[in-house]
Amino acid sequence: MEEITVQDTIICRCEEVMLSEIINQLESGSETTKELKLKTRAGMGMCQGRTCRPLLEQAVSFHTSNAIPCVSDLTYNTPIRPLALGELARYGKDL
Amino acid sequence: MEIADAVIIGGGVIGTSIAYRLADICDKVVVVEKGEVGAQTSGSCDKAIILQSKKPGFPSKLAQASRAIYENLEDELGIPFEFKKAGGMIVIQSPEHLQFMKQFVEDQNKAGIDVKLLDRKEALEKQPCFSPHIVGSTYSREDAEVNPLLLSQAFAKASRQKGADIKTHTKVLDITCEHGRVKGVQTDKGYIATEWVINAAGPFAPAIAEMVGVELTIKPRRGVILITEKIKPIVHGNILCAQYIAAKHLTDNKGTEVPPFGIGLSLGQTKSGNLLIGGSREFVGFDKSINANILSSIAAHASQIVPSLKTVQIIRSMVGFRPYTGDGLPIIDKVPEVEGFLIAAGHEGDGIALAPITGYLVRELIERSGRHKELLEPLKLERFK
Ligand SMILES: Cc1cc2nc3c(=O)[nH]c(=O)nc-3n(C[C@H](O)[C@H](O)[C@H](O)COP(=O)(O)OP(=O)(O)OC[C@H]3O[C@@H](n4cnc5c(N)ncnc54)[C@H](O)[C@@H]3O)c2cc1C
Ligand code: FES
Repeated sequence: MEEITVQDTIICRCEEVMLSEIINQLESGSETTKELKLKTRAGMGMCQGRTCRPLLEQAVSFHTSNAIPCVSDLTYNTPIRPLALGELARYGKDL
Repeated sequence: MEIADAVIIGGGVIGTSIAYRLADICDKVVVVEKGEVGAQTSGSCDKAIILQSKKPGFPSKLAQASRAIYENLEDELGIPFEFKKAGGMIVIQSPEHLQFMKQFVEDQNKAGIDVKLLDRKEALEKQPCFSPHIVGSTYSREDAEVNPLLLSQAFAKASRQKGADIKTHTKVLDITCEHGRVKGVQTDKGYIATEWVINAAGPFAPAIAEMVGVELTIKPRRGVILITEKIKPIVHGNILCAQYIAAKHLTDNKGTEVPPFGIGLSLGQTKSGNLLIGGSREFVGFDKSINANILSSIAAHASQIVPSLKTVQIIRSMVGFRPYTGDGLPIIDKVPEVEGFLIAAGHEGDGIALAPITGYLVRELIERSGRHKELLEPLKLERFK
């Protein structure tokens, strides 16, 4: 079993990204949630960041001392909720 | 004031690949990227390095030269980017396309590309996920794939290790010239004096060229891809469909219609298990808003070829803008009117495949050692004048 230090905690459940990994990236120069996403996959999972986005934004804000942006730079892309491909093929017109 | 030997505008896969090669011959290379490394076109694309679909002749030769560099690139950079020689197939759905594909495979073999035609049974053996209604497919073991996100990051990191400075979140506002010569680059974070400016801004290259009064006709050709949840491996290598390839080639002589939204299958599975299902080709400027018809058409087309996709969950779509020049080849050249200004843009749907050779070609434009003449000649800007 992998050992988890007391301070470390999971930030992105879908992609299993730990806080320590996020802090690592921030310390080596990442400045935005988009950059964190490209480097660690945090936010790219099944829920598309619905769970981890606020945590990522807090981490960035804490490290860069910038305010949390009102409009996130992690954008939602259609479809808004997961949807079976077969459904999409049939009902795309009414999305 | 900052001074650099060369300033590269754009930190996509093309700009970072150039930075890596220029760092060998310049003391100070600077990349100026307005956002993050690889977050535009190079982060909204498929992962395929496909040789078998290239036009025999020069396009195929260029692709082969780039593919050869990939062979040892991970070792050279010292950074893995999931390069995999997984092979590729072009699936043939209708008997009408069979004759065309037979000829296509023959031409490719003559051009030295290792590709063969498989009948239905052989194709299904290789790719059990295919529908039993397909007619057959091609197969080439030379096709490969990478993780494009990791690739740009790897080029950037390896460039930094060689001393390049990669400035992200920095936007180029203007380029100064004096007596027909480049003098420097004005960014929103300061001025950089330099003798060489390389325009590697992909689909955004025309706006950069305009700063020195040069007209570039590169257009954004939008592509949409569906991304699924992670599932266990069901797709091996990269899959294209003959419908699009046939339509593209046949329109030239027989007036066959290209499918709506320019849809042609591109299917692959990432190492993490997500399927990438594409794709469309449209000219709609830089409009990111997508009509649901496109998504459903991509889904419908893909599920005809791989029926088991119907139950897989789509978690998002991805929109990217291929830098389209019109003849399927990039522009890699010096601009004669503005000394010191180079263009390396317009790789359309092949930027991932062509990134490695592009770095070498730009280095050659600066070094002038006499290498790669035959590769640079057909990529000149003047072919559009
Ligand atoms: C749907 C789709 C699927 C694809 N599939 C494949 C594939 O399977 N295989 C393949 O080989 N290719 C594929 N491609 C093509 C490939 O993605 C592109 O050819 C390639 O990414 C182009 O890279 P680039 O570096 O030229 O452009 P970009 O990645 O767009 O980089 C240009 C950079 O310039 C920056 N920039 C622009 N203006 C400024 C400014 N004023 N100041 C500072 N920076 C600026 C931008 O922010 C951007 O990061 C696909 C493309 C799409 C859209
Ligand atoms: S928790 Fe990060 S994508 Fe779902």
